[in-house]
Amino acid sequence: MIVCVAVVGHNNHPLYLQSFISESNILKFHHIVHCSLDVIEEKVSNSKQAGINISESFLGLLYPTEEYKVYGYMTNTMIKFVLVTTDRDLRDADVRNLFRRLHAAYVDAASNPFHVPGKKITSSVFVERVGNMVKSFGAGASV
Amino acid sequence: MSGATWEVAESCVDSLNMELVATYYKRLHPTKPELAARRIEAIGYQVGLQLAERYTRDRPRFSDHLESIKFICKDFWAEVFKKQVDNLKTNHKGVFVLQDNRFRWLTRISVDALPLAGAQNESAVAANAVRASQAAGQYLYFPCGLIRGALTNLGVPCGVSAEVTTLPACAFVVRIKV
Repeated sequence: MIVCVAVVGHNNHPLYLQSFISESNILKFHHIVHCSLDVIEEKVSNSKQAGINISESFLGLLYPTEEYKVYGYMTNTMIKFVLVTTDRDLRDADVRNLFRRLHAAYVDAASNPFHVPGKKITSSVFVERVGNMVKSFGAGASV
Repeated sequence: MSGATWEVAESCVDSLNMELVATYYKRLHPTKPELAARRIEAIGYQVGLQLAERYTRDRPRFSDHLESIKFICKDFWAEVFKKQVDNLKTNHKGVFVLQDNRFRWLTRISVDALPLAGAQNESAVAANAVRASQAAGQYLYFPCGLIRGALTNLGVPCGVSAEVTTLPACAFVVRIKV
């Protein structure tokens, strides 16, 4: 089950963070996302030594904590998407698909002329789309 | 809804461009053309930022500045102006010149050419170039902002200026800021 989705801008400011469980301690998710930024930077800068193709946008499993798994995705414009989930076994293809749809929703939200680049995303359409994505992801995985 | 592609007549883009320049130069800032130019360039910058997000969606990440500039010359130009840049030159020290021999947004501008008399050939050509750049200069601030916004979003901070000698060919000079 996906518990949290976050979008972080190119200067590491959070543009959007949404938790999908009735957890009142959203600061915990802020902390997890913040730590995952370090892992993302390390992956991107060390990709040549590690042999990973630098041109991949999907960064895969970033790091597992005791309860959560964290996945990362970085776009060409240095926007990072972070996904926190409690699922034990997630198919790689499913996560990639979800990130692709997240990217599409983000592009639509960023193209809003009233959106100031670098500020938080305030589009209710974006919030709705992300909510639908998370709901349909959960339904597909449980079948 | 997210899969639908919307089409708009190109004459709308031409009209919008003409009206943008006319409004900013004649109605909003009639006595301050530099301010009008900066405002128009800022509009282009924001549009370039957003367009870069959209057009780099499904592409792998760029490894260096040259890749980003090549993306601008080929895919970005093809999406916005329906053709690719004709010539790309660089001095390998952070300056790139993008030459477009038939810039789409300048094709509708005409300048009365001075008659080329035999003895004064060179000065007449130079005078024509000056008149062309004066006529087209105001319309090139928006594309300069477009390129600057797109490159900045791809991680290449730069300054962009445009030069035009003979319509409708023009060159955009990109100076990468270190």
